[in-house]
Amino acid sequence: MSTRPPDAAGRDVNQEFPLELDEPRFSVKEPKIRYDMQGDLTDEQRVAAAMKNFVKDFGRTAAVYMESCIHCGMCAEACHFHEVTKDPRYTPIWKLEPFKQAYKREYGPFALFFRLFNLKPKVTHEQLAEWQHLLYDSCTVCGRCSLMCPMGIDIATLISQARHGMFHAGLVPHELYAVAERAKREGSPLGATPQVFADRVDWLADDHEVEIPLDKDKAEVLCTMSSIEIMKYPESVVATARVMNHLGVDWTFRTDGYEATNFGLLSGNAAWQKQMTMKLIDAAVACGAKTLILPECGHAYMALRWMGAAMYGKPLPFRVLHMAEFLAENVRDKRLRVRKVRQSVTFHDPCQVSRRGGATEAPREVLAALGVELREMHPTKGTNWCCGGGGGVVAIHRADKLRHQVFQIKMKQIDDTGAELAVTSCANCRQTFDDGQAHFNWDKTMHSLLELVADNLIEDEA
Amino acid sequence: MTLLDFARGPALQWSVAIFVFGLLWRLVGVFLLRTKKDLSAPRNPAAWKGLRLIALRSWPRKEFLEGTAFGEVMGYAFHLGFLVTLFFYVPHLLFFESVFEGLIGTDFEGLFGFAWPALPTGVITFLSAVSIAALVAVLVHRITNPVKRLISNFDDYLSWFLTAAPLVTGMLAYAHAGGLRYETLLGLHILSAEALLAWFPFGKLIHAFTIFAARGSTGMIFDRRGASL
Amino acid sequence: MGNSTLGEYLRARGVSRRGFLQFCMTSATLMGMAPSMVPRIAEALESAKRPSVIWLPFQECTGCTESITRAHGATIESMIFEAISLDYQHTLQAAAGDAAEHAREKAMKDNWGKYLLVVDGSVPTADAGYGTIAGVSNLEMLKEAAAGCAAVVAVGSCAAFGGIPMANPNPTGAVAVSDVVKDKPIINISGCPPIPVVITGVLMQYLTFGKVPELDALGRPKAFFGQNIHDRCYRRPFYERGQFAETFDDEGAKKGWCLFKLGCKGPVTYNACATAKWNNGTSFPIEAGHGCIGCSEPRFWDKGGFYKPLSTGDWGSGATLAVAAGAGVALGAAAAALGRKRQKDVEAQS
Repeated sequence: MSTRPPDAAGRDVNQEFPLELDEPRFSVKEPKIRYDMQGDLTDEQRVAAAMKNFVKDFGRTAAVYMESCIHCGMCAEACHFHEVTKDPRYTPIWKLEPFKQAYKREYGPFALFFRLFNLKPKVTHEQLAEWQHLLYDSCTVCGRCSLMCPMGIDIATLISQARHGMFHAGLVPHELYAVAERAKREGSPLGATPQVFADRVDWLADDHEVEIPLDKDKAEVLCTMSSIEIMKYPESVVATARVMNHLGVDWTFRTDGYEATNFGLLSGNAAWQKQMTMKLIDAAVACGAKTLILPECGHAYMALRWMGAAMYGKPLPFRVLHMAEFLAENVRDKRLRVRKVRQSVTFHDPCQVSRRGGATEAPREVLAALGVELREMHPTKGTNWCCGGGGGVVAIHRADKLRHQVFQIKMKQIDDTGAELAVTSCANCRQTFDDGQAHFNWDKTMHSLLELVADNLIEDEA
Repeated sequence: MTLLDFARGPALQWSVAIFVFGLLWRLVGVFLLRTKKDLSAPRNPAAWKGLRLIALRSWPRKEFLEGTAFGEVMGYAFHLGFLVTLFFYVPHLLFFESVFEGLIGTDFEGLFGFAWPALPTGVITFLSAVSIAALVAVLVHRITNPVKRLISNFDDYLSWFLTAAPLVTGMLAYAHAGGLRYETLLGLHILSAEALLAWFPFGKLIHAFTIFAARGSTGMIFDRRGASL
Repeated sequence: MGNSTLGEYLRARGVSRRGFLQFCMTSATLMGMAPSMVPRIAEALESAKRPSVIWLPFQECTGCTESITRAHGATIESMIFEAISLDYQHTLQAAAGDAAEHAREKAMKDNWGKYLLVVDGSVPTADAGYGTIAGVSNLEMLKEAAAGCAAVVAVGSCAAFGGIPMANPNPTGAVAVSDVVKDKPIINISGCPPIPVVITGVLMQYLTFGKVPELDALGRPKAFFGQNIHDRCYRRPFYERGQFAETFDDEGAKKGWCLFKLGCKGPVTYNACATAKWNNGTSFPIEAGHGCIGCSEPRFWDKGGFYKPLSTGDWGSGATLAVAAGAGVALGAAAAALGRKRQKDVEAQS
């Protein structure tokens, strides 16, 4: 694994980690030399930084989890990476081994004895480097393992926590670090800076003849987007506007708070995570919004709906809804009027929205309003298989082979339903499907629920 | 002092004391760690309802069953046999009653209105045998299954041994088998149970207590969000 | 008493050949021998010289003597007993004082190396004053008498293992015969007291074969002490079924259910009570409704209580557990405090 050259500071990141925006999967270009270690820390310093940042997460809940694992190995049965490779290293709880070691040695009630009698080995730099692949390349934080564990351990959340240590040890995979750093500096992982966003909103409004309010001083509803949509699926921006306008909502986009993805969360930098979240919160507060709508994105929902208040330090002064939830609400209130789509549809559940987020039925309510013939895949809803691209995995080139193996599960699931249309409500899932479709020459394209709604709105002839 | 006297005397006192000591050390050491209040707006506000995960997680969702049925069935077979043998075999329950009485002052029936039920020895013998068979099965699985082999450590094997020993020595003592005097067999059986007691708080066996906290925590956090349980 | 053989003596007492052979048959059965052994027993007993037996009583309650003399009329056993040349026995002898001691000394001298030494009661060692006979300490008397004996029979749990005098705190320094005599064969016939027919049965074996019978690890004849009470107890089915008397007068007790819960030590007690029983086969403690107290086992007085079930032990007390719990809570709280502090420090640094 290469280390970033010592004189890296001050180099032009745009040149060093150029973006790749013309492939089915948006990320940074595949590097000729991978820089999977960041910073010029010594090995000891890396381990120390990891330990320090692990300790921050060892509260009561994490401790109870660490004390409860009985090494039954059943979590492996739930994990798509293990499913397609049968490689025991992809056992979810094994991915946490350094985190567990650190807990038992440094923090647990018997820590002194663990150190005294060396009952668990000290975490080494080599081990952390080896675990980078396990913690990043082979985990989408999908939470199937958490759903399986007989002891009820939320393994997925612990993975996110373990990434905190890895980040500060400077052990984030090349591409993930690059896009996270870019997001922190520029406001978007994929180059959708506020200026770029504003420009896009402008020409989209023009091209599609749709009103797209930007930077209103006051609005009832603040809408947000993900960079994947802004850069790859700009139709989603238009669709958002169409739906909002159709519903007669007093809404706006804001250039000081529009990016819903959170690469601080995905890469493991808690400070960056907070910074990115606060932008959205501050923007909503600034315009007095009562509701903040998150776009079709998975981890964006987890980051703000469930983790946002902790970043803010107090309950959020506005409602947070995923776009699918917002649409479902308006279906229930009979405000959203759509044409019937006489096609058979299968719905891919985005892990962070359905299983981890709790908004499983909302998309289905919307699909019901659209009058589709819903053919559920097997398994579905809370136990559905992950697309394999979440958690930052889709950005990492060296994980492609593994991700494509996983993708075969999804293809079979969808093919088996015989549905004409595959729909989801997460742009990252969507681009993962696009990449898989291209790789396998698959005949199915993944569609967006929002765009399906927007394409079938019944507008008054006014 | 014979082996049996030692087992029923000093060894018993020390092992019970170590059990209580270690258990509280570990549980208090974990439960006094900090927690953060969940400030997010709940989808389901009744937090305590999430505790139902403690019961729900007792059997996997059918989607996960194919690869886990063996482990689940063997696990229950072992636990059922072990717990029934431990708590419903007369010589054992007399021990627990003596502890009960010593600590609370009245006997079990005095407090609860009904006698601690006992099962016939034949039933106990059968369930003990089932338990031992299940233990052997899971050990073989642990050694041969690639996932378990990778993640298993000293704790797993020691805990297995200390759990199996009382069952096996108990059967041997009951059958007066094994080539040793009955008093020696009985002494070894009691000592093996004491070794299990003394080890209990320090290895993975603590899951007997933490399972409620772990499932409960996850249940409450997840149910609050409406996430899948 | 003379030097006539046992056969001559019995005929003189009017015991018929048939009666004698019946006795030999009973004895063979008791000792677990085949009927083919009966002629051998008969021949041996017929021509057995009546050996000299010296009975030394030390710290005893005389219960063992009471037991062996529980003659039910002029039984054949009592005759056999009389047929042994019992040259010294405090309870039964007519002589007393110097005359008794002289009888003992003469018997020892005349039969040096050949007499059978029977002992009941434990031997005090803390102070000679705790047990003396005619001014001689028990310890000295035992050593002297053992020097010239062919074998020692320690009758009763006191002689065999120390018995009640040895019970905590053992103020007299009581020890068993085997703690004092190291160079002669010792047969321990334990029990408090032993069953009469066990005592005579052992003597029978010795008379018949002229050597010490097969003994278990505690020096007791396997013929009578080879099995535990539990395995031969008529109430065993109730144990297996899980039916126990909870008190001495409840329904279970009246129905004769197992007495395990009332402290019966049958499973770890080796004796012939459940088979040979007492009072010529009338009954034994369990049949009478009281759990076995384990009286044929060493230190049975100090095994935690006759009424505490065998499977309970001394687990401590509420107080000891409270101390253990307190220590655990303290260490746990300290560990948690350390952890929290570490977190605060780490967070302060970032």
